Amino acid sequence: MTIGLSFLLGLLAGSVSYFMLGLWWPLAVLLGLFAWLAFGLLDVKMDSTFTLLGGMLLVFCVSLSGMVLRANDQLSGLQYVDTQDVDGTEFRYPVPPLGQARYGEKIYKASGCVACHTQQVTHESVALDVKAMAGEKNLAAVQEAASRFYKLTGRKASGGAALGLPAGEWETIVTGANAADASKARNFLAAAGASVDVQVRFRGEDLMHNDLQNPEGRNWGRRRSVAQDYLFAEPPMLGSVRIGPDLANIGARYNRDMLMSVLLDPKTLKKDSKMPQHGFLFEQAEKDEQRQPTREAEALVDYLLSLKSANYPLPEAPVDQPFTSSMPKPATAPAEAADTAKPDEAGK
Amino acid sequence: MSSEPKEDVAKQDPREAVDRSCRGPVLFLAFSAVTWLLVYSVFAMLAGVKVHASGMMADSAWLAYGRIQPASQLALQFGFLVQLGLAVSAWILSHRGKTVLVDGGYLIFGGMLWNIGVTLGFLGILTGNASGLEGLQMPGKVLPLLFFGFVLVGLSIVQTNNRRTDEEMSPAQWFLFAATLWLPWVLAGSYLLIHFFNAKGVMANIVDWWFIQNFARVYLTFVGLGTLFHFLPALSGRQLMGRGYAQFAFWVMLLFGSVGGVGPGAPVPAWLPALSTVSAVFYFFGVIAVWVSLNQTISGASAADTADSLAYNLMRLAALIFISMGVLNVFFAFPGPGSVAEFTTYGPAMKLLFNLGFIGLILVAALYHIFPSLAGIDFSPKMTRIQTTAIVFGVLGATLPSALGGLMSGDAVLGSGFYFASLGDLLLLAGSAILFLNFLGAILFSIKNCGCLAGICCRGEKKEANA
Ligand code: HEC
Repeated sequence: MTIGLSFLLGLLAGSVSYFMLGLWWPLAVLLGLFAWLAFGLLDVKMDSTFTLLGGMLLVFCVSLSGMVLRANDQLSGLQYVDTQDVDGTEFRYPVPPLGQARYGEKIYKASGCVACHTQQVTHESVALDVKAMAGEKNLAAVQEAASRFYKLTGRKASGGAALGLPAGEWETIVTGANAADASKARNFLAAAGASVDVQVRFRGEDLMHNDLQNPEGRNWGRRRSVAQDYLFAEPPMLGSVRIGPDLANIGARYNRDMLMSVLLDPKTLKKDSKMPQHGFLFEQAEKDEQRQPTREAEALVDYLLSLKSANYPLPEAPVDQPFTSSMPKPATAPAEAADTAKPDEAGK
Repeated sequence: MSSEPKEDVAKQDPREAVDRSCRGPVLFLAFSAVTWLLVYSVFAMLAGVKVHASGMMADSAWLAYGRIQPASQLALQFGFLVQLGLAVSAWILSHRGKTVLVDGGYLIFGGMLWNIGVTLGFLGILTGNASGLEGLQMPGKVLPLLFFGFVLVGLSIVQTNNRRTDEEMSPAQWFLFAATLWLPWVLAGSYLLIHFFNAKGVMANIVDWWFIQNFARVYLTFVGLGTLFHFLPALSGRQLMGRGYAQFAFWVMLLFGSVGGVGPGAPVPAWLPALSTVSAVFYFFGVIAVWVSLNQTISGASAADTADSLAYNLMRLAALIFISMGVLNVFFAFPGPGSVAEFTTYGPAMKLLFNLGFIGLILVAALYHIFPSLAGIDFSPKMTRIQTTAIVFGVLGATLPSALGGLMSGDAVLGSGFYFASLGDLLLLAGSAILFLNFLGAILFSIKNCGCLAGICCRGEKKEANA
């Protein structure tokens, strides 16, 4: 390969890794240089094991530092954060596994539940809602900005905004917008002097069901999972295949008795269940007696009940508020609506 | 072995000498590999049955689906693929380099350590000591054993390559040489980060994904491609075309195959999935380059020797699977299609297609070619035809329906493809059992009848006789 072409390739590799991947700049420079060398400058004869070895070592270092060590830099600083429970109680998150739950985690690991169950709630898209409040003085200007935004994006004014903004009250300007539209709306409104509030909502099959906002939802969590949720997991059993449902939030869906019967005989809950029975977690003293859970089963259920991570809002993963366009004010109690799907709250 | 009298070696056909040095070590590794393939197919079959009959053997913790499934993966990847890969690499490097296998004893000893390590890991998973990770499922304690076993085998292979007669290295040699060095680096790196430095939280998963990516996209792929680059030209009697393409592919696949592998929705910083997409796209350029080079080499060719036509055609099939998977992989690396496929049975099905349909077929085909020259006797042709048919259809049957079913029915639902896959598992079981018997039978027969293998078991006596 000619030097010119290889230089271009090196430049490409360097700039892609800096601008698109956001690699640390010395790494990006190194990568570009390496690509240049590899593709052309040496025009590597590839006959000496020394050349091969040198190139391979360089690639190994780039790969290790570019992917693993860089992630470590970013994640090693994770700390407790403040969040609130569904009923509004504030606490520090995450909570280390209490009581038998740590032992239960070992049972979960040993039984290989991760072969069929994931523990990561994902989201598919982000939707943004923009709300604005205008004062008496700038009401007209804000109204003007809003209609300018509607015209520009070809939307119809929704809810109260269509009737004209009342002064001094929050009003939804747009719901379910993508990032570009939402930032347009915010800029227009802010320029006209309104107070603007942008709310982020996640949509996806895994998240809470909502007839309007998330009709496909399977109620597996109120928000997506993030790295913070796994601070105390040893190791996080994220899983890659879902033969069964996601369990990241199972503690909020099921109570102790239901979990026990899932383990002993899942067919009691659902007739054609494909979840295997875990008879080895139960023992039978006498022939005709009911099977009693062993210490392992109790611990495993403790662990499952402790899995409630996708319930608590975090700065990087807020919990949605229900759709409020019919109401003049943003709702203040976001939790209830999303929780109706739970079979039982008393289980914890 | 290398200390045997030199003049003696020089007088004979050099190939004969090379084969003699390879015989014991390569057959040992290949036989252990074939045994692990049988173990894999038994356990994969069991796992499939357990999903259909959820109450079966429910009282036995050893046989929980969550244990036999990862254990079978371990048998497949570390027991079968790595060992047969090492056996084939050792043979190719000594033949290409026109040199005897250096320190074959290390190869046998390292192979034993590796087998002990895999066995302990296998039993460890069955007794509930799995690490909970996906790529390195075996208990952390066996990793050092695996590492030292591999390093011993690698020592012999690398030394053999360094003693090659021609200064020039061919693409087959780069790829096999690089693969042999890469796995211990990655294994040691992941072991240290996960178990020694105790990676916290999702860091353990990130290191694990890094390992999976390197193991599949670099190590196994390089073993497969190195074998293709040797055998496709060799069996068709042609010269490898497009050395420049091969060189491009080598560096591109090394660089971009060694990062990435993080799913689109993973609970990690967002740049990791993005990096995975970008690296998958660049990796694809390497795949194209390989395709161009191989296509130029073999277009219109057929096996030069009819005895090799089965091996040759299997390799061409494997190359076809490689390029098709390359296209699919880059398509599903983008977040849109990727999140459709994520968590469905598409993922494990493609993994199996990669392991058995690409790497496995290539290595088995290579074994068909290598075996007669080493054992002095060929596999039974009839059994070989049956086992090959069973394995090929088994692989396709165990993967394609469940990949398609996964895409169509989504996650947390078992599509009908999954049921169909059990048929594939059954064929695979039959195929690997026949392969095992075929191998065993041929070895026993040759020890008894033609005495070619007597050198292995009675090497001591022979040496005395020489002296
Ligand atoms: C063979 C795969 C498999 C394994 C292994 C497995 N499960 Fe399941 N699990 C399933 C399937 C499938 C379902 C869905 C059952 C149904 O059809 O309702 C399920 C359902 C569940 C549920 C109910 C979830 C819900 O939202 O309805 C819980 C809890 C559960 N499993 C826990 C476990 C635990 C704990 C383990 C490990 C001891 C485990 N599972 C191992 C396949 C599996």
